This record gives sequence, structure tokens and C-alpha cells, in this order.
Amino acid sequence: MAEATASRTEAGRRAGSVVARTTARRASVPGFLWGIVFGGTIASSAATYATTFPTEAARERLAVTFGGNAAWSALFGPLRNLDTVPGYTAYKSMMFVVLLGAIWGFLIATKLLRGEEDAGRWELLLSGRTTRGHAAAQAAIGLGVGVLAVWVPTALLTVGAGASAKVGIDAGAALFFATAVVSAAAMFVAIGLFVGELAETRHDANLVCAAVLAGSYLVRMAADSAPSLGWLRWLSPIGWIEELQPLTGSKPLAFVPIASLIVVLSVAAVRVAASRDLGSSAFAIRPRRRPRTFLLGGQAGLTLRLTRTAVIAWIAALVLSGLVFGLVAQAAGTAIRGAAGLEDAIARLGGSSNGSAAYLGLVFVVAAGLVAIAVSGQIAAMRNEEASGHLENLLVRPVARRSWLGVRLAVALGLAIVASVLAGVAAWVGAATQSAGIGFGDLLKAGVNVIPPGVFVLGLGALAFGLLPRAAIAITYGIVVWSCAVETLSAVFNSDHWLRDTSVLLHVAPVPAAQANVGASLWLLGLGLLAAVLGVVAFSRRDVVGA
Amino acid sequence: MDAPVPREKWRGLRGNMATAIRTQDLSKSYGSTDALVSLDLEVPSGEVLGYLGPNGAGKTTTIRLLLGLINATGGRAEIFGVDAQADPVKAHRRVAYVPGEASLWPSLTGAETLHLLGRVQGSFDPTYRDLLIERFAFDPSNKVRTYSKGNRQKLILIAALMSRAELLLLDEPTSGLDPLMERAFRESVDEARENGQTIFLSSHVLSEVEAVCDRVAILRAGRLVDVGSLAEMRHLSALQVEAELDGPAPDVSGVPGVKAVDAEGNRLRCQVTGPTEPLLEVLVRVGVRHLTSTEPSLEELFLAHYGADGEGRG
Repeated sequence: MAEATASRTEAGRRAGSVVARTTARRASVPGFLWGIVFGGTIASSAATYATTFPTEAARERLAVTFGGNAAWSALFGPLRNLDTVPGYTAYKSMMFVVLLGAIWGFLIATKLLRGEEDAGRWELLLSGRTTRGHAAAQAAIGLGVGVLAVWVPTALLTVGAGASAKVGIDAGAALFFATAVVSAAAMFVAIGLFVGELAETRHDANLVCAAVLAGSYLVRMAADSAPSLGWLRWLSPIGWIEELQPLTGSKPLAFVPIASLIVVLSVAAVRVAASRDLGSSAFAIRPRRRPRTFLLGGQAGLTLRLTRTAVIAWIAALVLSGLVFGLVAQAAGTAIRGAAGLEDAIARLGGSSNGSAAYLGLVFVVAAGLVAIAVSGQIAAMRNEEASGHLENLLVRPVARRSWLGVRLAVALGLAIVASVLAGVAAWVGAATQSAGIGFGDLLKAGVNVIPPGVFVLGLGALAFGLLPRAAIAITYGIVVWSCAVETLSAVFNSDHWLRDTSVLLHVAPVPAAQANVGASLWLLGLGLLAAVLGVVAFSRRDVVGA
Repeated sequence: MDAPVPREKWRGLRGNMATAIRTQDLSKSYGSTDALVSLDLEVPSGEVLGYLGPNGAGKTTTIRLLLGLINATGGRAEIFGVDAQADPVKAHRRVAYVPGEASLWPSLTGAETLHLLGRVQGSFDPTYRDLLIERFAFDPSNKVRTYSKGNRQKLILIAALMSRAELLLLDEPTSGLDPLMERAFRESVDEARENGQTIFLSSHVLSEVEAVCDRVAILRAGRLVDVGSLAEMRHLSALQVEAELDGPAPDVSGVPGVKAVDAEGNRLRCQVTGPTEPLLEVLVRVGVRHLTSTEPSLEELFLAHYGADGEGRG
């Protein structure tokens, strides 16, 4: 009898924490992987500093050039102690990790709360031994475990890299840095939690969170543009992280607003969850509207309507990036002149120039990666359209599968071409205003040069979609991630190592630092188009497959 | 702009005696699991066929094969003489489909969805669409994401019916509809039947099939076990007999054709297959106060094939 009572008590306890445990498990796995990426990025920045800037002169030139560069500060934050390993590590990795961590934070929070509610699964959980408020609190605890899973590998890898004699960052400073950069993820988990309770859907919550992140970035950008505006940093969550000055001062005061934001928003989210009706929204919603039939005349128009937001956003992002990097090319070119590591990187990619052209050459190799990610997103959208069952509404009508997939691939191809070309043009506009001395034709070629790898990834993605639909998203993004990883690690390979050939990005010549590799580009284009055709044929012959 | 169908195109289909659906040895396997085994089925144009079976019997698999959404592992499926697997686009010009659970684009409104699906179908009857919207009491100005399951089902039903397609493939179409809307659905099926449209109605709601179908096909574990008119199917089943006797109920379990005996005091209930005379002779010896015999409902017919647990027995 006592045994049965104890067993029931234990079962009750487990039932009471099932949401926390489930959320923790689902947040921790991707969190841990992102932590490895963050830690790896920080460790890599620290470890390569010595080889990239081996002489005092090179380090001093770097510090002098960037130290007073307002545009560079606006992009990456205040640049301090660039002639030291900690200063350089903070400049090179902090903003990257902070932004990725913030994006991961709000996406995972909205996925595991509002997303579960949208899918109807939250309702099932709430029918068990819990309440709306209790379940939300449990989910918040689970997400906290997820943030911890990001912090652990980030901290271990940072401390590990710091212990190396070449780097020489003490464990306390390394832990402070890891905590500072991961706090962005924690803050945006809390923001995602809170906004998810107010928004109508997860999609809407993500848009609001992205706007908060963009606003936060822009406010700190303004704050870092001029010393007189420095106070603005206290109005921005990302600015608070800058105020911590990790690795360049370690001032913990800014942890007060960071911790306050996390606690206040988490508590508020739980309170809202406890008081609102399931499925309702605190934001004003307009569920009714007059029909807008623009682009709804057929499946091709529908594809354009469904993809337009992502397509426009990617094009805008690449154009803006091109413009910004064009603007700073002159200053960056001066700073990296003589930097052995960057010269090696250019040489590995087949280039020989230095200065602004070398800088923009490397930037456009990164742009090739961004274009590949953009087309991967289109493959993901195709697969999601099929997995959700939406596609069946078209395929049970007189719509040929090859026609539907053809239009989808054409949109993705158009995205790659327009974004690449406009990025080249925008880079020229930026570079021309700074008299960087790089011609329009060279930067247009640089833009066109990043199209073939995008087409190659798109083709392989289409083939994966045709043959292995459930694995298509992982395969397509996997190709891009693998290429980026090999590109990053290529410094440790011999120049003729076979592993290098498996990276799409290492077949991209760093135009305008080098002549375009026409042969490699034609191969990438040909193989990509062939794979796309095979993918269309395979899709026409296979079963339509749900989630 | 809507694209109305010329009335002559969708009126007067009755009399076209072509075969709407023909399957020969149609099969689908997933690894070692047989979802559908050698289905031979013919549905004449203008017929309303009920396609019955428990969950997992292969009803949806059959419809997905007819629509070319999945590939057959054997056999052939034709829609109005067109190979549905080889040329689905041509076949779909004459077909409209309603799934059991509608998955639609959440950001579109009901009206936008109807506009889109009508355009993609190629033709639809806007006057009939408006009538259906009224009949199903559907508000098309809301976004799909705000609709309940029942409203989403109404939307997909209206989209299919407004096409006036010659063949309607309906896969548990009243899932989520309330009884009033089920009646609206039956009214629409009757209209389609009057118009000469063919209807393939997959369901496990027996009363629905009984109310609207000309013929019934029963599927069990991927195999077609019976096809026939409702009258023909009833002959396959036993009569249900209930008797109140003058004395204690006798043991009738050994009487030829008698099964499912339930005796209590002077009351007896059993099923009889074939002639009832042997049973009546035994009962008359005890004395019969009251006796009723009823034809089986479709439900009882269904249970005779599958048993109460749905696992099947005959």
C-alpha cells in the first residue's frame, strides 16, 4: 500500500515536470551544438591571431587603422586593444556569436511554446496534471537548461583556447567572455517567451522578435558611431553586452539590466500564459479582410506570393551587406596589407592581390556562402510545403509536379542571380564613395561569380528533394555547413588536400582579388543544373510524402 | 475575375455511361506491409459508391493511388479511361477531391483560397459557389488560420463541389461537420447525383453511406471483401430475431443457421442465416408470445464482416 502511494507520488512528480524535461531535452541538443560552434569560433579567432598578424608592426597597423574607424565600430562595436589577442578575439567573434545566439534564442523559445500551441500539442499537455501558468513556467525552466547547454561548450572551448601559451587569456576572463556572449541567447529566449505569449502565431512572434533584435542592433550601431552617443548603448540589449567589455575590461555592472530583463520577461510571460485563453492573442488581430487575389491566378503566382517575403529579405540583406563592405573596403584594405594569414587565405583561393581588392575578394567568398544559404531556404520551403500537406491542394488538381517544382526552382535561381548581381553593384557604390579604386566591372564580376555555387547547392538540394524528401533540408544545409567548415579549416590542410575539393566555397575564386575561375564556375553550373533536372524527374516519379 | 463553367459542360452528365473509375489488380506496399492488395473495382459514371472500411483498411491509399499522389506497386488505375498514374494532370481535369482533414495556406482568407483553387482547377461555377457558401453557412472573409476544423472542412468541400467536376473523390468528407452541416452535405451529394456526377465516398460513417450511396464496397486489411447494392449486401447478413416465449428459452445453438444466441429467462435473441423455419419449429414448441425479426442495418452488416472489435472475422 505504502509502495503504491510512493509510486503514485513519484509518478505525480514526474508528470508535474514533464514539460520542463521535454522542453529541456528539445532545447539542449541544438543548444549544445550551437555552443560548439560559438566556442569554436572564439577559439579559432584567438588561435589564428598570432599567425594572421605575426609581427608587432602588423598588429599595430591593425589597431591604428581600425581603432578610429567609425564605420567599423558601428558594425562590430567599440574596438579596444586590437593589438592584443583578447582585444582581437573580442572584436572578431563577439558580435557574430551575440547575433547568432540571439536569433537561436528567440527561434527556440517561440518554437517550443507558441509553436507547440499553434500545432495543438500544447493543448494535449495542458489536459494533463498542469495549468497554463505552471506549464509555461516549466517550459521557461526547460529553455534555461537549453541556454546552459549553449554556455557549457562555449565556456569550455574559450577557456581551453585561452590556456594556450600563444593566446594567454586567463580562465576568469574567458568565462566572463563566454557568459557575456551567451547572455544574448538568454535575453532573446526571454524575449521570445514573452512575445510568443502576446502574438497570434509563432510566425508573428518571430517577426516581432526579429524587429526587436534589428532595433537593438541599430541603436547600438548609432551608439558606437560617435563617442557622444555612447549613452545609447544602455537602451539596447546588445549594447549592454558591449558595456560588459568582455576580454577588454570585464565590467559586470551591465549584467544587472541583462539579468533583470530575463527575469522580468520570463515572469511576465508566465503571468500572461496563466491569464489568457489558449490560442488567443494580446496583439490586435484582423482575422477578417477583403480578398486580395493578387498573384492567386495559378500555382506560379501562388509560389511568388508565398516566397516573396523571404526573397525580398534575402536580396535586401545581400545588397545592404555589399554596400556596407564596400564602404569599409578602403579602410580594411589598408589594415590587412601585410597580414600573412589573410594573404595565405587569398592564395589558397587562387588570388594574389592585397588591400581593398583582397578584402572584397574574401567578402564575396562569404557572400557565396550566404547565397547558398538563401537557396537552401528555398529548398526548405519546398519541402515544408509538401510536408504540411499544402502542396496536395495543387497536385490533386491539373498541376504537373514538374511544373510546380520548376517554378519553385526558377524562383530560387532568380533569387540567387538578383541578390548576387545587386550585391556586386552595391559593393561598387560603397567602394566608389570611399575611392577604393575598384571598378564597376570588377565588382559586377564578383557578384556574378558567386552565382554558380548557389546554383550547385540548389541543384543538389532539388535532387535530394526528389530522392530523399525527408532528408532534403538536412542534406542541403549540410552541404553549406560542410563547405563553410572546410573553408574555415583549410588553413591546416595542404593546398592539394582532397578534402578541400569537397567544399563548394573553395572552388570560388576571390574576385576581385583574382580572375574568375571560369572552368570551375561552368562545372558548378553544369552539375547544379543537371542535378536539378534529375531532381525534377525523381520528384515526378515518387510518392508525395508527408511530415 | 471568376471563370464560370459553361452550363452545358456540367449539366446533363447523366446518360454518359462511361466508366468513371476502373482499377485492375491495383496494389500498394510499403516494404513488407501491404496497404492495398489487388484491387479490382469498377465504378460506372453517375454512380454514388460508398467505400467502407475501418481505419487502416486502405481507403485513403486507394484514393491517393487514383489521384497519382503515390505510385502503385502493381496494377492499373483509370479515371474516365485515362491512366491516373501515368497522366494524372489529364485525369485531374475531371476530378475534384476532398480530404478528411484539410491542410490549407493559413495566411490566405477563405475567399482567396476559393479563388486560388478555382483558378488552379481551371473552371468552376461561381453561382453554385455562392449557393454553397450560403448552404454551409460559411464566412469566407476570415483567414484560414482562424477557422475551426469544421470550417476548414466546409472550405475544402465548397472548393471541390463548386468545380462541378465529373468525379468527386471524397475521403471522409464530413469529418468535423455538425449534424446540420452533414445534412447540407447530403443535399449537395443529391444535387451532384441528379446532375450525373460520379461520387466515390470513402467513409466509416455507416449512416452517411446508407443515406446517399447506390452501391457499397467494403475493404478490410487492404483487400476488397464485398461489393454490391445495399439490397444485395443485406442478403449476405443474418436476420436479427428477438422472441418472448411462454416458457424458458430453449437451447437453439444447435439449430442450423442460428448464431449469436443470447437467452435470458423466457427471452431469446439470436441471428439467423438462411431459412428461419428450423428455428421457428423449436420456438413454437415452447410457445411464442411475441417475435420480431429485422433486416440488418448497414452497421450490423459492417459488424458481420469485421466483428465488434473491428478486427474482422468473415
